[in-house]
Amino acid sequence: MSTTEKLDLFKLHKAEYAAPKEPKLVEVGPAEYLTIEGRGEPGGEDFQTALGALYGMAFTIKMTRKIEGLGDYAVCKLESQWWNIDGPKDGWQWKMMIRTPEFVGQDDLASAAAKLVEKKKGAGVDGVKLERIDEGRCVQMLHIGPYDKEHETIAKMLAFAKEKGLAVHGRHHEIYVSDPRRVPPERLKTILRHPLRPAS
Amino acid sequence: MRTTTLEDYRERVLRVLLHIQRNLDEPLDLVELAGVAAFSPYHFHRVFHGMVGESLGGYVRRLRLERAAMALKGSDRPVVEIALDSGYSSHEAFTRAFRAAFRVAPSEYRGQHAPEIPLSVDPREFRPLEPEDPAMRVEIKQVEPLRVAFVRHVGPYNQCGDAWDKLTTWAGSEGMIGPGTQFIGLCWDDPEITPPDKVRYDACITIDRDTESIGEFGVQEIDGGPYAMTTHFGPYEEFDKTYVKLIGQWAPRSGRELRPLPCLEFYLNSPENTGPEDLVTDIYLPLEAC
Repeated sequence: MSTTEKLDLFKLHKAEYAAPKEPKLVEVGPAEYLTIEGRGEPGGEDFQTALGALYGMAFTIKMTRKIEGLGDYAVCKLESQWWNIDGPKDGWQWKMMIRTPEFVGQDDLASAAAKLVEKKKGAGVDGVKLERIDEGRCVQMLHIGPYDKEHETIAKMLAFAKEKGLAVHGRHHEIYVSDPRRVPPERLKTILRHPLRPAS
Repeated sequence: MRTTTLEDYRERVLRVLLHIQRNLDEPLDLVELAGVAAFSPYHFHRVFHGMVGESLGGYVRRLRLERAAMALKGSDRPVVEIALDSGYSSHEAFTRAFRAAFRVAPSEYRGQHAPEIPLSVDPREFRPLEPEDPAMRVEIKQVEPLRVAFVRHVGPYNQCGDAWDKLTTWAGSEGMIGPGTQFIGLCWDDPEITPPDKVRYDACITIDRDTESIGEFGVQEIDGGPYAMTTHFGPYEEFDKTYVKLIGQWAPRSGRELRPLPCLEFYLNSPENTGPEDLVTDIYLPLEAC
């Protein structure tokens, strides 16, 4: 076992994961993520396959590096981005993401994917990518309640941004604090984030 | 087939209460008491705790101290003799326990202005406690047998992290943890009964039926069949409250008999990236088929 302290990116970048009860401005630096993209209803079959592939890869990469003595780190919470969500749910587009240390490289992904395929747990793993995302200044707020009530929290965030002379751009971003499989919808905690630019 | 009613459970716990009262000088170990009540030793302690409102050990200790209190008041016997009769090896240990229970030292209790000690009611008057959480959500699930790789931990439950670390590092680096892998804890002993350094716990992950080689790790099959499932929200340190409500308060009113097998814990998220208050665990209690 490694004797070095386990790296926890959520703790290291605590300010970026603020979960205030009112909208707040945060500065989010460039960050590496394991990602997988798709289209369709959240919770649908494609979505579940993608999620399984993303978690499988995140876990396999982490544990392979750990057993090879390359250091240990916590697998971060699940995050996501959403776009084209004005129409019916089957057209919604999403990217599921898990923040990952910068030292994880393409060769880690390739070897993890090969292992999962060999163990017949490889569905969807070829869609998992390594991506650098730079969001900069964002508005952020904790949403408590069902996902389909997020618009109420988002309205507050937009009003706050407008007041500051800022407008949203880029993709809506979510960070999942609670486990939707068991936590009742009214108690679900989700951090909502949206990148900002000066209002024109 | 006849169902097991609350009255059946009450009658069985009553047998234990009467047995304890008549045998306070005996060691009164758990397996013997579970036998008196025809309960599996896996679950008996929590049935007792949930129905009576205190742990089995605590109940026996309290009855012995109450008997000591009566002896102090009603006789001139030396305190040390009464202490020995109550299962304490020294005057000091007895005095400490007596004071903790009744807020007065044994010697003071002999004096003229000793406070009254409210003694237990006759066990025959025993009525099961009302459930703390009558709306507790419990589902009956038919579980398929599960093949798992495991690492056994012997010691306090809160130190089982090393077993998990060993298991998940190996399995994860082999590509064995993917979609559908379940993380299960198998709790062989009740920490209220078994000394902490002897508590047995298996950290398990589900594996495919056709997985041949599992290196240095154990493989076992977890029994299928009917289970009662409830979800525990929050820190692992508070599992026992959920166990007592499920086994000691829900089960006696369920019409079901408990199966003599350990309970299962399915961990849905991980303390590695989740705060204690957001941890979610499904607890499975094995039931007899009906």
